[in-house]
Amino acid sequence: MDFSVELANAIAIAGKAIGAGLAMGIGAIGPGIGEGNVGAHAMDAIARQPELTNVITTRMILADAIAETTGIYSLVIAFLILFAL
Amino acid sequence: MSKKKMSTKAKVQLLVFLIVYVAIGLWNAKLMTASPSEALKNIANRWIVQFGPGNAWYYQINPMTVIMSFIVILIIIAFAKSVHKEFSLIPGRKQAFAESLMDFIYDIVESSVPNEKYARTVFKIAMTLFIYIAVSNLIGGFIPGISADVSIAENGLRTVKFTIFNDTWFPPTGDLNTNLTYAVMVFIVSQYFGIKTKGIKGWLKSFLEPVAFMLPMNIVGELAKPLSHAMRLFGNVTGGGILVLVISYLVKYMFLPPILWGYFGIFSGLIQAFVFSTLAIAYMASSIEA
Repeated sequence: MDFSVELANAIAIAGKAIGAGLAMGIGAIGPGIGEGNVGAHAMDAIARQPELTNVITTRMILADAIAETTGIYSLVIAFLILFAL
Repeated sequence: MSKKKMSTKAKVQLLVFLIVYVAIGLWNAKLMTASPSEALKNIANRWIVQFGPGNAWYYQINPMTVIMSFIVILIIIAFAKSVHKEFSLIPGRKQAFAESLMDFIYDIVESSVPNEKYARTVFKIAMTLFIYIAVSNLIGGFIPGISADVSIAENGLRTVKFTIFNDTWFPPTGDLNTNLTYAVMVFIVSQYFGIKTKGIKGWLKSFLEPVAFMLPMNIVGELAKPLSHAMRLFGNVTGGGILVLVISYLVKYMFLPPILWGYFGIFSGLIQAFVFSTLAIAYMASSIEA
């Protein structure tokens, strides 16, 4: 194989890897902060009213899943970059 | 420490589980490819059957999704029949399980739907979604089964290779088509409820809610709901499956997978089913006016 073609392939693979890593890494910041906030406030609420633990836990998991959405988007994009591009 | 002894039945069950586990582990060690990249090469490919001319999307079906959907439906029907047979005033184990599950979802529906007339309809839709998604996530989460490995040649020809006990069953929710179908269905039903309760004038007016200037924002916000609804489930199920496959290669497929299956299959699968149905309830409830 021609050296320049080989180099082009190597650069393409490197770009894929870097792109997928950046997409997942940066995309995980937002959900991390969001879920941390949700968890912290749920703990506050449970400490204030322990008798509502069940209700608060259910709502907390729901809010976690919604905060997670953008992280899941970046996961899907990372998969697309790695396997479908 | 408790001195309670294990019953013989529990011992036999544990022994059978361990034997099956070790056998599947050895079987997978035999099937394992040399490098993870070889195993991950075909992960994004789907088994597609064409039954018409051309390459159009409406001539293609995804047989794996269709077959697994029917298997899930049959499992649910079998369970429902077995519960129905022993229906009584004093509930048995199965009936108590089914009743407490329905009660759990009905409480959420009752507290979030403002108009009581629609509570039962919303409950039926949400409960159906929950049971179907939970069962399909569970069989795709931790039960070893047949998997289809599809490789695409240079000329676009697809060859399918089936292996037994190499991976878990393919969950129907791991296919975006299934999730989008349900999400779009929830979207249409919620818009229908909105038109029915507010009247067509009130429904159109609700898009101009705070100020008329917000019209494009409201339309995009409505259309983004089914997309994010479907993508959330798809990303979680598919991402969990791929993560399990990748991490399995670090430990040579022997010790970790059951724990990972426990997390990604049972815990994450049930949570995602719950989230999907709760969001369906929330979307439908938000468009119903008291």
